Amino acid sequence: MARPALGIAAAVLAIGTAACGRSDDRAEVRSVTDGFLAAYAADDGAAACARLSSHTVQALEDQEQAPCSRAVTELQLDVGDIARVEVYVTNAKVDLTTGESAYLSEEAAGWRLSAVGCRPEDGKPADRPFECEAEA
Amino acid sequence: MRRLVRDNGLGLFFLGLLLVTIVAQALVGHADFNHQQVAHHDDPISLGRYVFSSDFGVDVLENWQSEYLQFTLFILATIWLVQRGSPESKELDQVGRESDEEQKVGEHATEDSPRWARARGWRLTLYSNSLLTVMTAVWLASWLVQSITGHAAYNAEQFDHQEASLSWGQYLGTSDFWNRTLQNWQSEFLAVGSMAVLSIYLRQRGSPESKPVGAPHDATGVEG
Repeated sequence: MARPALGIAAAVLAIGTAACGRSDDRAEVRSVTDGFLAAYAADDGAAACARLSSHTVQALEDQEQAPCSRAVTELQLDVGDIARVEVYVTNAKVDLTTGESAYLSEEAAGWRLSAVGCRPEDGKPADRPFECEAEA
Repeated sequence: MRRLVRDNGLGLFFLGLLLVTIVAQALVGHADFNHQQVAHHDDPISLGRYVFSSDFGVDVLENWQSEYLQFTLFILATIWLVQRGSPESKELDQVGRESDEEQKVGEHATEDSPRWARARGWRLTLYSNSLLTVMTAVWLASWLVQSITGHAAYNAEQFDHQEASLSWGQYLGTSDFWNRTLQNWQSEFLAVGSMAVLSIYLRQRGSPESKPVGAPHDATGVEG
């Protein structure tokens, strides 16, 4: 009687544990965001764009009517240090010390920024999308 | 070997069905997840990645927890509640935990009784409540894991829409958590209630879940 119950309990815990996420994702998310912020601060548009998702690059170019390498340096971003990294399944959010946030998604080539320069609108942040300088 | 399979056929049959259907769920769930990924301009993920994701986890656990809640409540309710005419019920005059003689415990146990049924004290108490205890424990554990995996899947969706995350405690108050929970609970209670009532009037020859075909409708606690 005890063995089937232990098996079920083990299966439940295994599913729960496996679903909690991978610590190396957090490291990569932090690295990609750091790299983007450093490139933006150095006016290195090409390096910054390399860390954006393809859809974000396309949206930025459509929005600014300019190549990404030029358009990204003209964004009004409040650059700061990374205060918090959250990763859930294939999506991530990075909060900066300046109050801005960035969102990332996991692509085949690795984690890429899907939205930058994001701030919450008035009201509950969990209920409404942030307003972003650039997003996919 | 043949005897082993025959003697354990019911358990093996449902174990086989479980394995087939959970694999099938993984395949179609993976396809559905990637459909959503593409719709959100995200890249699809591998089957292996999906099977270890919170999305698959919550889809499995929300169903498991409700099954074990169903068993927990059914085991508990049938101690004190009866249903006239149902084979799922005890006889009407046997409401409650019954006597030691009826339950074959202590001095009333036989040589074939489980060892702890012949004991007294905490061993007998624990064994006498072991089925409900284990069912309740598995229900609570799987509901907890549903909440953990559901929390992760919910926050992933939040980030996909550039929204803020919720803590686990906040997630327990969301419509997402309770929608997943209650949609499963209602179906379990419907199933048990249906079985308890339909089996009063309907028969399935050969099944212990049914009364004998010729048993009267008001015969209670009778197996086929």
